[in-house]
Amino acid sequence: MKTIVSAAALLAASLFAVPALAANLVLYTSQPNEDAQATVDGFMAANPDIKVDWVRDGTPKIIAKLQAEIQAGNPVADILLIADVVTLERLKEEGKLLAYKSTEAAQYDASLYDADGYYYSTKLITTGIMYNTSAAMKPTSWKDLTKPEAKGLVTMPSPLASGAALIHAQTLAAVPGLGWDYYKALAENGAIAAGGNGAVLKSVASGEKAYGVVVDYLPIREKAKGAPVEFVFPSEGVSAVTEPVGILASSKNAEAAKKFVDYVLSEKGQEGFLKLGYIPARNGMKLPEGFPARDAIKVLPIKAAEALKNTDQDLKTFSGIYGSN
Amino acid sequence: MRGYVRPGNSQPVWLFPFIVMSVLILSVLPLARLAMVGIAAFANGGVIDVLSAPSLWQATYYTVVTSILGTIISLAIGCLFAFLLTLTDIRGKGPLSFFFVLPMMIPPQVTALAWVQMSGPSSPLLKALSLAPPLGSPQPLYSVGGIALLFGVQHAPLVYLALRAGLMTLPRDGVEAARLSGASSLRVFRDIILPLSLPGIIAGAAISFVSCTGNFGIPAILGIPASIFTLPTLIFTKFSAFTSRTFGDVAVLSAIIAMISVAGLMIQDRALRGRDYRVIGLSGASAAFGLGAWRLVFTPLLWAILFFMLAAPFFALVAGALVPAYGVPLTFKTMSLHAFQEILFRQAVTRTAFINSLSLASATAVGLLVVTVLAAYALTRRRDAVSRIVASLIEIPYSLPGIVMAVAFILVFAAPIPVLNVSLYGTIWIILIAYFSSFFAVSLKPVVSAFHQLDPALEEAARLSGASFFRRLFDIIVPLIAPAAGASVILVFLIACNELTISALLWSAGTQTLGVAIYNLDDSGSSDLASALSALVVLMVVIMMLLLELLAKRLPKGVVPWRS
Repeated sequence: MKTIVSAAALLAASLFAVPALAANLVLYTSQPNEDAQATVDGFMAANPDIKVDWVRDGTPKIIAKLQAEIQAGNPVADILLIADVVTLERLKEEGKLLAYKSTEAAQYDASLYDADGYYYSTKLITTGIMYNTSAAMKPTSWKDLTKPEAKGLVTMPSPLASGAALIHAQTLAAVPGLGWDYYKALAENGAIAAGGNGAVLKSVASGEKAYGVVVDYLPIREKAKGAPVEFVFPSEGVSAVTEPVGILASSKNAEAAKKFVDYVLSEKGQEGFLKLGYIPARNGMKLPEGFPARDAIKVLPIKAAEALKNTDQDLKTFSGIYGSN
Repeated sequence: MRGYVRPGNSQPVWLFPFIVMSVLILSVLPLARLAMVGIAAFANGGVIDVLSAPSLWQATYYTVVTSILGTIISLAIGCLFAFLLTLTDIRGKGPLSFFFVLPMMIPPQVTALAWVQMSGPSSPLLKALSLAPPLGSPQPLYSVGGIALLFGVQHAPLVYLALRAGLMTLPRDGVEAARLSGASSLRVFRDIILPLSLPGIIAGAAISFVSCTGNFGIPAILGIPASIFTLPTLIFTKFSAFTSRTFGDVAVLSAIIAMISVAGLMIQDRALRGRDYRVIGLSGASAAFGLGAWRLVFTPLLWAILFFMLAAPFFALVAGALVPAYGVPLTFKTMSLHAFQEILFRQAVTRTAFINSLSLASATAVGLLVVTVLAAYALTRRRDAVSRIVASLIEIPYSLPGIVMAVAFILVFAAPIPVLNVSLYGTIWIILIAYFSSFFAVSLKPVVSAFHQLDPALEEAARLSGASFFRRLFDIIVPLIAPAAGASVILVFLIACNELTISALLWSAGTQTLGVAIYNLDDSGSSDLASALSALVVLMVVIMMLLLELLAKRLPKGVVPWRS
């Protein structure tokens, strides 16, 4: 009898290693797990003396986590690598970010980073339409999704779960001829909005839905692996987010964090993104397999300051149309 | 040891206050804090906004409906298994019972993931068998019915265990007297067994209902894609749109969940009140009924149910882990081990999650055992009103949904602890403390029942010979209660290892548990990785349960839940 207890105690003692709390850097990112791991692995290979712990969640959720930690007086993250500049612009205005002038910025278009060095875009992620190859209609424009052929077969990410989805809705809402009326028409056509881009990919690739509004790299990458999906850049143009990186003012490892920013902006870091199937933001880089030439992609403009101001209202409008919480 | 409380009670002075302190920290403090924040929200009028939101009432409605339907399904399956495995001479009782309890030990989001992989147009399994529904067919599980069905499957073992305990103590002579007077089997069942097993059925229904109302994993995976929110998933989404009012809002939402579960428990009380079930006579109605030719019907039926509950979802999970990309049919050509490689060798989060879950579970199991041995000693030796109050305070956190406890602990530890000036929020310790609170009752039960069986004369003799309290504890008490203590450790370990509801709200960088890691992988669209990790977790659970099965021969009766 005694042996059982002592065996259990020994077993427990051997398992009870104190969990890792003291990582050098903590990254909060909205990249899918495999990509986040690849980015971190690349950085750690270039900087063997720095260890990085990372957490992945949808942009709105990861920012919520951060806000809750800030309110508790214990922000864990050092670096953010999330979907859109609008979110980082808001954090900058709240004084939560640290300014850092990276020398790599010279290789970037001035519109792609904050002049004071609070955040830098790392790649271009556009949102277009994916469809299952067995779908009857091959959509070429946003309007096609409101046609009867697509009734009940359209899915899209919710702005409550995805940063790219929020920017996408705000971008299309400002396009003449689309606007919120377009979203209403989609809802009337039985489109649903739930979860993040990952959920859309799953739903269309598996044939639960035929058409999905989704970020470009997911379907293009899955198609290369053999999934029955296609991706189109609709004729009206696509919305884009630029996945910026920023350092938190509360970071206790600012030096290591600056190295991380330099790395993701450097040629090596950008090549890593290219390998994963993203359009790199840096000048003079190639495009990943399966993408059309860069100048053939028509990116719709978005006014960041206005988008920031209208975010809460836009979320309400969207939830009102799609009845989500 | 100096200063004894009173003659005939040889506890050291510090023992009972120590237990009271633990209970204050683990149970009273968080719940009082939750109540305070809720009341403050009421006072500020913020509550009007929360209560007037249609989303709240919709979530309340979905919570109640799915829980009631889920309870009915779990009653149907649980009672069928309990009656057949305890009262008849069906073959293969051991394995049937073992497999039937298994779903209870598997994390609910793994169950949900497996069923999703098993059905609908996305199923790699159905695609491989060319049975998949056509393009655009909805996934049938993304619905109220789907959530209720999985609630039923997940909680049927709870009903089974509760009812089985009651059936074990049925008086044999009542059944035999009826038999001798010529009553048919059906008549005996209807007039004697069914009325006497009501308390077990009602208790099982209540446990199942409360577990349904607090379940997060199943409605998170099945409800969110269809915009069906229950209260636990609504709390979770509130945290994804964090504002300064979030803490107050979730306090109110948790209070509503707590009220629904308490209402369930009160109905149970009412149902049992005014009935007297004391029976005399020999207990143990084992194999009261010979099935005869019916065996040919019931044996395949039970195995078929188990196949659908366990085997098919598990194969679907493995199939989902082996496909190279979504929507690709699984054949020997397309099969790829990429997901398992990625999970085992590339993803740092897997290792982190395994280490966190295993160390949290072992720390909770072993740490609680130390507290429960002392608590059980104190509570069984003092039989006064104070100790009864302490005992019921230990029960409360376990009978409330995990998400309510998680919110309570966030409220307590969100601000830095005064004096020490450290903040536990965002560290692994807050999860550990929440586990201590939630599983205290689980750990205590087997130990208390072992204490009740102790002969006090042994300890008394040692005390008269001048042995100190610790000497008596280590030389006499611990060896005698060792088997029950071992069972308590293993049970708490299994439950804590697979927990998601609490950690879903409390995790942070580097403190992901297995439950969180699986949920997150699926959420980012990597359901192949989520399936691979889930399959590994299921294997781990089965291995642990087999270990317990091997130990069962050396443990007292009734400690390993699925054995007779």
